[in-house]
This record gives sequence, C-alpha cells and structure tokens, in this order.
Amino acid sequence: MEFAQSTAWDGIAVGEHLFAFSPMIALTVTMLAIVACPLLIGRGARTIGSVTVLGVFFALILCFRVGGVVADGGLSGLSTSPAEGILLVDNLSIGFQILLLVFLAGVILLWWAGSSETEKNAPEFFILLVGSALGMAMMVSTANLLMMVIAMETASLPSFALVGFDKTSRRGAEASLKYMIFGAVCAAIMLYGVSLIYGLVGSLSVPVIATYTVDQFMGGGNKLLLTVGLLCVFAGIAFKVSAVPFHFWCPDAFEGAKIEVTTWLSVVSKAAALVMLVRVLTFFSAAIPNAFAMSLLDPIVWTVAIVATVTMTLGNFAAYRQESVKRMLAYSSIAHAGYMLSAAAVLLHPSVAGSESPITALLGYVVVYLFMNLGAFGTVALVGWDTGSDRLDAFTGLIRRAPLLAIPMVMCLMSLVGLPVFAGFVAKWWVLVSLGKMGGTVGWVLAVVVVSNTLFSLYYYMRIVVKMTLKDDGQTPLRASPMGVGLVNICAIVLMVLFFAADPFRHMTERYSKNLVTASTLSSADAITVADSSPTATDPTAIERGGN
Amino acid sequence: MTIGLTHYLVVAAVMFVTGLFTMMTKRNAIGILIGVELVLNAATVNFVAFDRYLGPDRLDGQITAIFVIVLAAAEAALAVGICINVYKNLSTVDVDRANSLRG
Repeated sequence: MEFAQSTAWDGIAVGEHLFAFSPMIALTVTMLAIVACPLLIGRGARTIGSVTVLGVFFALILCFRVGGVVADGGLSGLSTSPAEGILLVDNLSIGFQILLLVFLAGVILLWWAGSSETEKNAPEFFILLVGSALGMAMMVSTANLLMMVIAMETASLPSFALVGFDKTSRRGAEASLKYMIFGAVCAAIMLYGVSLIYGLVGSLSVPVIATYTVDQFMGGGNKLLLTVGLLCVFAGIAFKVSAVPFHFWCPDAFEGAKIEVTTWLSVVSKAAALVMLVRVLTFFSAAIPNAFAMSLLDPIVWTVAIVATVTMTLGNFAAYRQESVKRMLAYSSIAHAGYMLSAAAVLLHPSVAGSESPITALLGYVVVYLFMNLGAFGTVALVGWDTGSDRLDAFTGLIRRAPLLAIPMVMCLMSLVGLPVFAGFVAKWWVLVSLGKMGGTVGWVLAVVVVSNTLFSLYYYMRIVVKMTLKDDGQTPLRASPMGVGLVNICAIVLMVLFFAADPFRHMTERYSKNLVTASTLSSADAITVADSSPTATDPTAIERGGN
Repeated sequence: MTIGLTHYLVVAAVMFVTGLFTMMTKRNAIGILIGVELVLNAATVNFVAFDRYLGPDRLDGQITAIFVIVLAAAEAALAVGICINVYKNLSTVDVDRANSLRG
C-alpha cells in the first residue's frame, strides 16, 4: 500500500484514493440519476426502478474491484496522516458494502414484485432508499467520531422518511413519528458525548481516543467525564443496533412501515451499526499494551455481554405473544441483534483479541441473516399484498393455498431458529465457537444464554409453521407475483447451499475479516504524534486551568 | 473576572440538562424537538469553546460545529414534515395519543 504511507500532500495518490471510495461515489451518482430520470426519460415507477438497479450493480462491480486493491491492507482516505483519515476502506467495509448492495438489489426486486408502473412517488422512494444505503456504507468505513455521527444521520434521516412514506397510512405516520423522535434524541445525546470526548482527548479519531482511554484507566486520570462521553456514544450506536434499552422504536417502526422498508431496515441498519461497533472495539483492543491491562476493559466486555443477553431474551419473549407476523419478525430481529452483539462482546477478550474469528462469525451471521430475513419478509409481503393482512390467521393453510411460498417460508423460519440443514445453524455455530474460545465466565454464560434463547425461539417460529401446514380454514388460493415467489425461493435455496458449502463460505467470510485497518496499520507513530501535539488536552487538569 | 472555558461549559451543561428535561417531560412532538435542538446546540457550544481555549491551532471542533448546525437544520426540516403528516392523519402531535401500535 505505497499510497497509504505517503507523508505529504503531493505524495497522495488522489486518484487511487478516490477509486477506493468509488462504490459510495457510484451510489451518490445513482441518486443524482434518479433525480434526473423523471426529467429526461419519464416518471414511470419501473423506469426509476431499473435506473436504481443499474446503479446498484455498477456500485457492486466497483466494490469487487476495490476489494482486490485493499485485500492486503486497508487505506485511510485523502489525508496526509492515516490517523486523520475521515473515511477508510478495508476488507470489512468492502465486504459489508457488497452485502449491502446485494440486499438493496433484493429489496428492489421485492418492491418490483408488488408495484405497478403507475405507482406514484417512485423517484422519492428510491432516492431515500439509496440515500440510507449510502449512509450505511459510510458508517462501516470510518474511524472518526464526526464522520460516524454524519454517517449515522445520513442513514437515519431517509429511514425516518421511508417509514412514513405512505402518507395516507395512520400507522405509518405514527411509526415514523416514534422512530424520528427516538432517533433525534439519541443522535443529540451522542453528539454531546462526542463533544465531551473531543474536549478531553483533543481529537475525534477513534484510535487516538482508544489510546487515551486506556492510558487514563491505567494511570487514574479524569475518568468520570470520559466514561460519560463514551456511554453517550455507545447509546447512539445501541439505538441503531436496537439493543435494549434503546429498542422501543423497533417493533413500532417495523410494523407501521411498508413491508419493503421493514425488510430493508431489519437487516442492514442493525448490521451497519454492529460493524461500526466492531470497528470501535477493535481499536480499543488494539490500544491495550499487554494482556495484564486487558482486564481494564472488563467493564466494557461485561456491559456488551449484559446488553446482548437482555436484548436477545427480551426480543424472543416479546415475539412469543405477537399475533402480527410482521411485528413478530420485528421482535425476532431484536433477538438476532442480540446474538450478533454477543459475538461483538468477544472482541475485547485477551484470548481472541487480534484474531479475526469473532469478526468472521459476525460477518457470516449478517450474510445468513440477510437471506433468511429477505425470504421470510418476502413471504409476509406476498401474503399481505394478496390478503391485505399480516396477521397470523392470514397464513392458515398456506401449504395448500400457495405451496411454492409455504415451503421456502418454512425453510427460512427453520434457519431463523438455527436448525441444521439450513445456514442459520452455521451462523449460530460460529458465534458459539467464538464464545467457547473466549471461555471464562462471560463466554460460557453467553453461550448458555444463546442456546437457551434458540430453544425458546423455536416455539414462536413453529407457531407460524404449524398454522401454515397443519391448519386449514378453507381460504382461497393465494395469487402471488411469480417474481416475488422466485425471490423467496432463491433465498431458501441459498440458505441450504450455504449450509452444505460451509467451508467455502467460511473462507469467503475470513477473506473479508482480515487485514483490517487497525491502530497499528494506521501507523501508530502518527496516532501518537496527534495525541502529543496537544499536550494541554491530554492533561486532565486542562479544563480547570482553562477556566482560571 | 474573565470569561473562561468553564463558563462556556457551564452554559452548555445547563442547555444539555434543560434539553434533556424538555425531551423527557414534553408530550408534544414539537416540544420534544425543541429539547433536541437545545442538546445539539449545547454540543456546538462545547465544540467551539474547546477549540478556542485548548489550543490555538485547532480546527476540528469548529468544523464539527458547522456540521452539527447543518445536521440540526436537516433533522428539523424532516421532523416538522413528519409532524405535519402525523397531524393530517391523527389530528394531533401528542405522542401519548399516537398509540395504535403497541404490544
């Protein structure tokens, strides 16, 4: 990576750096094309949809090209010092962007199956959809607190609007109001936390902040303000992950939104925040000088572990008594966020710190979760479009009314439980293996919690399966668009393929979770220079002195 | 008495607490948004004050402050749009009356 180590402005290969960020640039251009399309070609819904799909495929191709360039190590963009890079690109961010774009294409296909050429407001819908995708792509490619906030808002603001997109829907309006208020409050608190951290550390760069935090906790400096600031930042991230106690928006927003929007938000908005959390935690574990100091981060490990436990348990218990399948899957998505969080808790442990196995587990979980949720929500969408209901009763006797929908739905639900022959089992297994490798009280307790939650979740997923296969109240056969049925079946087949091809799948995921941009590749010398150049700020008494 | 960093931080902290209190007690969506704006502006004051007092060559905080102002404007525009939509549908912007989604 000769261009990553350049030391002067004229040494930066600007072209190379811009190329590294080309998938995001392609998404931006897609948004502009959607604006231009009604003026130049036409406002037809399908026309706009085609333009968007074209843009997404173009961005996807660019992702694979960039993935080849950064395979051996990431780079931090358009900056003389890598530690000051606002955006960065590495295997993890490229891997997530590939997932994001594949999923975006899937969601657009789902929309296509349920829309007509005369549908109004298609340009606005797609601008918001691609805009939130751009925000999520930025969320995973930064190690700078300012950029994190901006990226989270770029992802959130279009999501608020998407949830309330159907202006005639009362439930949509209410859902977007709740989502927006909760999001605005969390973003504001996060920003206040960022301002406190900036005052203490004198930098917005996460590696510098991690180094400073570890120093403070080892040396015993001004810990209170730092802890408050970090808690505020984690609260903002927890809102996006929908971790307990910041999960209240999730079921309401998901139930009130259009089903395509629910599908979109249920996977990627959480996954993006999780990857962002993983990046922050990686920097923290890289800042630890030795294994002895590792115990300093025990409070963070315990916090993440407890939040993960409560999140998955609460998600599963609340899902159990839902009558609306859409809302049930919304709670199930909270539970799955908990499973993924438990993989994140492992990151800071000495025995696994620095290895990529928890990141592999998390990335693999996201891949599998993407396909099983697309399949499950796709079926809910097709049933909902035909019967006008997302209640459990609308699914009665689906095996007779639409066998080509019922069978993949059963497969997706089995995979959501985590039963063998489906990829959900592989994903859960990897999480359990990394928890087992971590060992200790936290590891084993988390493993037991994951397993018992899995057993419990079997019950409410089975309710849908039983309703579809064993009961029949003589409802008329379902008319579903062939495209939607095809999409759902492809998802189910992919889930089986990923189970039987677990080894190649593992290799693919490992390829995207190694050689990450860490504090050491961000040239630790640079990180230290930044911290040293502002001695007043790193001095805990600086604030008191400034006041006198 | 000269005005120093502490004074600015106290003003910001008061704004933060006021905003937090507003967000927790108000039932009107617009009221909650005013609380959010207070918290965002508290962060802005912090950023600018830290830059001014903790080093002459700092610019990150000032730049962040500008971004926060733009962010607050974008959020307010969208939030008011959503509030209008809610008012059209429910004839109220009281968050306690928006209760058809529950469980």
